[in-house]
Amino acid sequence: MIKVEEKKSPQHNLKTEKFLSPKKLYLPLRQHIGAASKEIVKEKEEVEEAQVLADLGGKVSSCLHSPKKGKVVSIDYFNHPNLGRERAIIVECQDEEKKYFERKNVTQLSKKDLLNIIKEAGIVGMGGAGFPTHIKLNPPKKIDTLIINGCECEPYLAADYRLMVEDIEGIFKGIEIIAKIIEPERIFFCVENNKPEAIKKINSILALKKYHLPLTQLIVLKSAYPQGGEKQLIYKVTKRKVPPQSLPFDVGCLVHNVATCFSIYEAVYFSKPLIERIVTFAGDALETPKNLWVKIGTLVSELFERGILKFKKEPKKVIFGGPMMGIALKNLDYPILKTTGGVLFLSDEVDFEEEKKCLHCAKCVDVCPMGLVPLEFVKYVKNKEYGHLNDIFIKDCIECGMCSFICPAKIPIVHYIKIGKLYATGSK
Amino acid sequence: MQLVVSSSPHLRSKISTSWLMYQVIISLIPAVCVSIILFNWRACFVISLSVLSCVISEEIILRIRKKPSAIKDGSAALTGLLLALTLPPTIKWYEVILGGFFAIFFGKQIFGGLGQNIFNPALVGRAFLAAAYPQDLTTWIKPFHFEAITCATPLALRKFDHVITPIKDLFLGTTGGCLGETSALCLILGGVYLLVRKVIDWRIPLSMILTVSFISSIFYFLNPLNGSVLFHLLSGGFLLGAFFMATDPVTTPVTKKGRFIFGIGCGILIMIIRYFGGLPEGVMYSIIFMNAFVPLINRLTFPKPFGYERK
Repeated sequence: MIKVEEKKSPQHNLKTEKFLSPKKLYLPLRQHIGAASKEIVKEKEEVEEAQVLADLGGKVSSCLHSPKKGKVVSIDYFNHPNLGRERAIIVECQDEEKKYFERKNVTQLSKKDLLNIIKEAGIVGMGGAGFPTHIKLNPPKKIDTLIINGCECEPYLAADYRLMVEDIEGIFKGIEIIAKIIEPERIFFCVENNKPEAIKKINSILALKKYHLPLTQLIVLKSAYPQGGEKQLIYKVTKRKVPPQSLPFDVGCLVHNVATCFSIYEAVYFSKPLIERIVTFAGDALETPKNLWVKIGTLVSELFERGILKFKKEPKKVIFGGPMMGIALKNLDYPILKTTGGVLFLSDEVDFEEEKKCLHCAKCVDVCPMGLVPLEFVKYVKNKEYGHLNDIFIKDCIECGMCSFICPAKIPIVHYIKIGKLYATGSK
Repeated sequence: MQLVVSSSPHLRSKISTSWLMYQVIISLIPAVCVSIILFNWRACFVISLSVLSCVISEEIILRIRKKPSAIKDGSAALTGLLLALTLPPTIKWYEVILGGFFAIFFGKQIFGGLGQNIFNPALVGRAFLAAAYPQDLTTWIKPFHFEAITCATPLALRKFDHVITPIKDLFLGTTGGCLGETSALCLILGGVYLLVRKVIDWRIPLSMILTVSFISSIFYFLNPLNGSVLFHLLSGGFLLGAFFMATDPVTTPVTKKGRFIFGIGCGILIMIIRYFGGLPEGVMYSIIFMNAFVPLINRLTFPKPFGYERK
């Protein structure tokens, strides 16, 4: 792991603002890992805010709610930031806000009730992968260590940090619920040392001992990338290694992102499903960066049409997610997903250096957090010898981007790996 | 709005091929300065001629191969500089030119250019000269003298005359020897600079130093005339080899374990040649020899990814 320029300023110090009155929402049925959600509304149907639009489409799946009161215009294929084009429910919204009331009997809810609430709130891992949370919270093995991930190691992004600074109580109430469900022996709250205010808040809460938590420890990690990666974080705090093709529960660990904890809190305390999230909008092409609460399904282009965001100069790249793992888009008509932590608009900060010959300097080997030899993937993909790729463990690559980042010859190594993976898994 | 679509990551580090090359050149500045102080105009002459020869050879060959010019990446200039530092100050002008051409043509371009070669180009150039002009490559002169007064190198003195040069002279470089190998102080300075700036990896120099220390301490214990640990570390081309030649990214192993093996192998070969070989010094041949094993080392030390150890 190495230190990557953080570029968190000024986003880190910008209070969140709200944009909760979009005109139209585009809700892809696939915003999580697993089967796509199955729609249960029809075109032209009137829907209320927080009404279920689509139900679980399989065992590993999640449901989808209407973020606003409005009318279903159509259910059709639309732009999807990660998957190209996907079926989406398109809702025309009315400008009316629903009030959520606090549930009275939270402490009396059983584990089963809590899991059900989380399932019906459509909560998925908000750190990026989008694994359905109710499945993660029902592991087949005993979990002894719960890790709360507040690392946010991608440069630019500040959404998790702002949430920790502005509503740490909510996050802790969410953690309390998770702890009640899985009964871990200890909890590690991991934050990087570039988040001083969050560290202060977490420390003061831990000192008060207000919540029913097992042994809880704040772990301040030195800022580095890719620290927030699940396997890397587990190893860092517990020294346990998650074997390949296994999940954290195999080593008795569970990792949850802070934003997910907050959504669990909202679902349990206010019966509010996952319909909003904080998104960092940043990059040198913007007049002012912003941390915004937005409705899931809001188009990036609408934020510009409504004057919420303004360009200072023409962007050369628009990225959904962080700069290390995010996906570059071809226009602005893409909806915010449950897993979108940031959208970046880069102009001068984009680097267009030409690819040169590999020096075999092995800097990619030295930085790979998975212990792979990235330059070998490039060699085999370039020579079209796809058969060897599985032998050199291409499937274990987490695409963190460190190899391409460090490469002095500017070889887009991750690009070759992505191509290689398609061939190695037989999908091409 | 024209947006660029490409794979992640969208940020790149500032490290580039030419940055790496220039960092090595910068790190060699102290050694170059000292060589000029010690051997005055002869050092200037050999260094400039060698750099020019390498750069011009590369340009001509690339033009014949119809490839774009690579003068800006600094790799040919670096090869020239490293070659010059391995040559004696009295070498003849045409020998320098030939050596530079040979280094670039047979050491680098014939394999396909930068990144493709198996052997360190500068050492290939020197090996050619050592074979073609053995007399001229083993004639050394005393430092600080305008006229050429011949003398022997510390390693030759040890081997053939059983005289051990004082450590202070080795450290400052006031002995006979190649242009760049005389002053240990400057080479250590340059090496530390490269390590701090993360231009080179620490594994090869460290394992080379430890291996040589280990073997020489045993032999010193058996007979002090074999030379002490410090004597072997500071004399000859060892430091130049350990920090600047054996760390060449192109011709060394890519795996971490492999780099240790490479360094240990170099260290053992150096000591075998120094103690038992016909030559007083063996850094060049041991690195070239180990270069040939790099593909094998890479294959044998291919690492298991994170998490595989448990199974």
